[in-house]
Amino acid sequence: MDNKDKIINLRNQAISKILTSKTKEELENLRIKFLGRKGEITQIIKEIPKLKEKEKAELGRLLNETKKIIEENIQKQKLSIDKSQNSQNNLVDVTLPGKKPPLGHLHLITYTIREITQIFEKLGFTRVRYPEVEWDWYPFEGLNMPQNHPARDEWETFFIENLKNSKYGLGVLTPHTSSGQLREMETTKPPIRMLNIAKCYRRQSDASHAPMFYQFEGLVIDKGISITHLKGTLDYFAKQYFGPQRKTRIRPFHFQFTEPSFEFDVTCIVCQGKGKLPNGQKCKVCKEGWMELGGSGMVHPVVLKNGGIDPGKYTGFAWGWGVERLFMMKYGIDDIRLLFSGDLRFLEQF
Amino acid sequence: MNILVPHSWIKEFLETSAKPEEIAKYLSLCSQSVEKITKTDNDYIYEIEITTNRSDCLSIYGIARELAVILPRFGIKTKLKKIKLGQIPENPVKNLPLKVKITKSSLCPRFTALIFDNIKIGPSPKIIQKRLKKVGIRALNNVVDISNYLMVELGQPMHTFDYDKVKKATMILREAKQGEKIITLDNQERILPQGTIVIEDGEGKIIDLCGIMGGQNSEVDENTKRVLLFVQTYNPAIIRKTCQLLSFRTEAAQRFEKGVDPEGVIPAIRKAILMFEENCNAKVASKLIDIYPNPPKPKKIILSSEKLNQVLGIPFSLREAGKILKSLGFETKLLKKKLQASPPHWRYEDINIAEDLIEEIARIYGYHLLPSELPSGKIPIKPVNKLLMWEEKIKDMLKYWGFFETVSYSMISKNWLETLKIPPEICLKISNPLSLDLEFMRPTLIPSLLNVIKENENWPEIKIFEISNIYLPQGKNQLPKEISTLSIACDGNSFFNLKGVVENIFKELQIENFNFEQKIPNSLFYSKIFSSSYRAKITVENSNIGFIGEIKTEVLNKFGIAKKVNIVELNLPEVIKFFNPIKKYSPISNYPPIIEDLAFIVNNQTKVGEVIQLIKQISPTIKSVDLIDVYKNTRTFRIVYQSYQKTLTDEEIKRIREKIVEILKKKFKIKLKS
Repeated sequence: MDNKDKIINLRNQAISKILTSKTKEELENLRIKFLGRKGEITQIIKEIPKLKEKEKAELGRLLNETKKIIEENIQKQKLSIDKSQNSQNNLVDVTLPGKKPPLGHLHLITYTIREITQIFEKLGFTRVRYPEVEWDWYPFEGLNMPQNHPARDEWETFFIENLKNSKYGLGVLTPHTSSGQLREMETTKPPIRMLNIAKCYRRQSDASHAPMFYQFEGLVIDKGISITHLKGTLDYFAKQYFGPQRKTRIRPFHFQFTEPSFEFDVTCIVCQGKGKLPNGQKCKVCKEGWMELGGSGMVHPVVLKNGGIDPGKYTGFAWGWGVERLFMMKYGIDDIRLLFSGDLRFLEQF
Repeated sequence: MNILVPHSWIKEFLETSAKPEEIAKYLSLCSQSVEKITKTDNDYIYEIEITTNRSDCLSIYGIARELAVILPRFGIKTKLKKIKLGQIPENPVKNLPLKVKITKSSLCPRFTALIFDNIKIGPSPKIIQKRLKKVGIRALNNVVDISNYLMVELGQPMHTFDYDKVKKATMILREAKQGEKIITLDNQERILPQGTIVIEDGEGKIIDLCGIMGGQNSEVDENTKRVLLFVQTYNPAIIRKTCQLLSFRTEAAQRFEKGVDPEGVIPAIRKAILMFEENCNAKVASKLIDIYPNPPKPKKIILSSEKLNQVLGIPFSLREAGKILKSLGFETKLLKKKLQASPPHWRYEDINIAEDLIEEIARIYGYHLLPSELPSGKIPIKPVNKLLMWEEKIKDMLKYWGFFETVSYSMISKNWLETLKIPPEICLKISNPLSLDLEFMRPTLIPSLLNVIKENENWPEIKIFEISNIYLPQGKNQLPKEISTLSIACDGNSFFNLKGVVENIFKELQIENFNFEQKIPNSLFYSKIFSSSYRAKITVENSNIGFIGEIKTEVLNKFGIAKKVNIVELNLPEVIKFFNPIKKYSPISNYPPIIEDLAFIVNNQTKVGEVIQLIKQISPTIKSVDLIDVYKNTRTFRIVYQSYQKTLTDEEIKRIREKIVEILKKKFKIKLKS
């Protein structure tokens, strides 16, 4: 058999094998068998230099042609294998559950703290952390609430046994994040934009009060800070957190460490601020369409002084609100104690 | 403190067309918060929360006085009416005696008393009874009702004695000695703390627990003919302290401890005279006794225009400010760019500084009229708190590795401490805990996590974590250390799953030089609660950063947990110290890696971690070493060789392999499996 016949035989052999192959692996093996480095066609190509000039040209052409045909057939067969595989795939039950990577759950408090932080970070606030076990000075005395002041009644306080400092008083579990105000002033010169989110403790326990809870405290101190800035900042927060259609207002209130002091309200998310539900019943979530978010005020000059800041030069505002209150309003959770129970059926929902 | 205010009673002092909803709305916006309006037979009752600084609002008249200023600003015509008052006779027909001695004037800034004769005890007029009922007070008789009625109406608590029971017509106001006793009107014997303000009569009997409740021995009863009306103000701090020590608080005491206006005493007496005459047919039978040694001196507070504008955030004229203050009863004087103001007597204690004036001006002007603006100043440059940042990142990692985050109370019980073999004496103790379950500040998160596992015992596979502070005392005059701690717990045989989690956290933080050492110092409670085999101290560069272990069955039993539990506890600030912010870049080799699996026969002292560390150090050509199989005493390691310069030859690999075998044999006495 001369080379020419050999080539034609090889070609036919290849084509038939290619056309009957069923998988891509098979096809790849055939490609190697015929066209690979040690493949049969390649072997013949290697023989060419030994041939006469005339035969060289003819055989070369034939080989190229054969190579091309085999390659084309491999491509064609590949497509047809793909096609048939696809049609088989149509029979797969795609409603079978997927294979999931592990997925856990963060606590609702974590999500809310992150949301709060993100909103205030846009306004240049930085999150800080200060002691939970504090000297009386920071949550009380230094905040213009001397011993035996009736204002202290609002904070049912836990005391620590055998903990007392001659300068700063008794050791307590801080009942509010406002204790962070003086801590911040001691370490930072104005301008100050502080966000203190922390655990607080009070001697209380019912559906809406737990002995441990979270507050977020904001403190802004700079030259020329006014009530309008307090209104603007808190209004921005309420609209970001509850939605842009919310209205907000401040009302007079009293705290020893701010003057003037305010209560901050936002229009109710349940009755849309109407005070009445669509069925005509009174909204149970709010007071006449307004929900109280918490206290705020202009930092009292005595507090600025206690923090080493000149009240003649600087003014500031502050607020301290409950973290749980925010999401209890948002999600309609009615028992705060559920949050700390560790019930995985509850935690799984967030 | 919340008070009840009937609409009809306000109307006695207020000429207004305001509807109840308007009153509630505008009072809340500019003064005190109306918490609730209740409709009762043809009347509305407001429940109003009075802030501690506004004792002047703790009365019907006080609220009317506020409304008279506020309502006109909303375009509602309103006028405050004059209170009808009786006359104090200069020379009464009868002048019954009363000897008064006050041992210390600071106890009682103002002492007044007046005696009535010809009393006929009976029920009060219907309107009085009805009104008292509306504010939650039970009507008793025409005399006692007068004192309750006027406390509610004018905010001045008062007391009535049966004059004939005050022996020798003598009153000595003094501080009680420790342990003295009185039976109060509610028929309770009370043992008085040292310093309580009391009144003793001429026979040495204590007849009044001043400012809080009268004594039974001098009570007005159905046979009373002569009444001693007693109107005072007391030192608020002492009243407050006594109430706290006795755990007993009356409405009168709540008012006295917030401060009662001494200038309000005389109008209250004059109104009382009128009521005694009308309701009891009584006659004044003494001169007014009024001991008032130190009336407050007028206060002058200066407010600059600059300060006013700065705090309000808008330009505000001093003239307008002065007008508002005047409407609130202040005396004002316009100076050059300044306003001088003196508070009315009912605001004397509350108004002290310029900021107090600004609050008055702003609330009456209307907070709702002030614009809302974001602060425009410089944004402070403050570095990110790395601990807070990593806490959040680690929480995310754990969430996406299938863990649940839990948050539990920082306080735990003595019982839990003892179960974990932690001596309670070394922990921070709360002196007034809410319950024994919440008595100690936790020095570890482990018991809290064990409790969550117990509470969820039917959950198939528990993977939980918490990041919270632990509290470690540092002596009597130093605050405790609060250490942000990460604890992760898994049920079942999960020691190495947990170890893998820790290793992955380290990888994310690019911490490389960590070690797990089986030895935990005996002094630490971890050594007592972890099983003797599955336990390790975790260190980085010789710093101890945490502990991992399987909890002993005996500890689990005490928590009522039937399955195995592994826990790791990490000191986050220590971990983060080793965070390496710089990612190491190694160029990608153009030459193929050679992969080879080597099986070694080990003995029971062999530590695989150390073997891997050692192999890695043998040649820079060794790219990675992993344990891929464990079978009996055989450990198979997959070694990847790769060079940056060339394709490695069999001969080169062979040389490195021989070196590995030789060094492992020398160092660990382990042999290559043939």
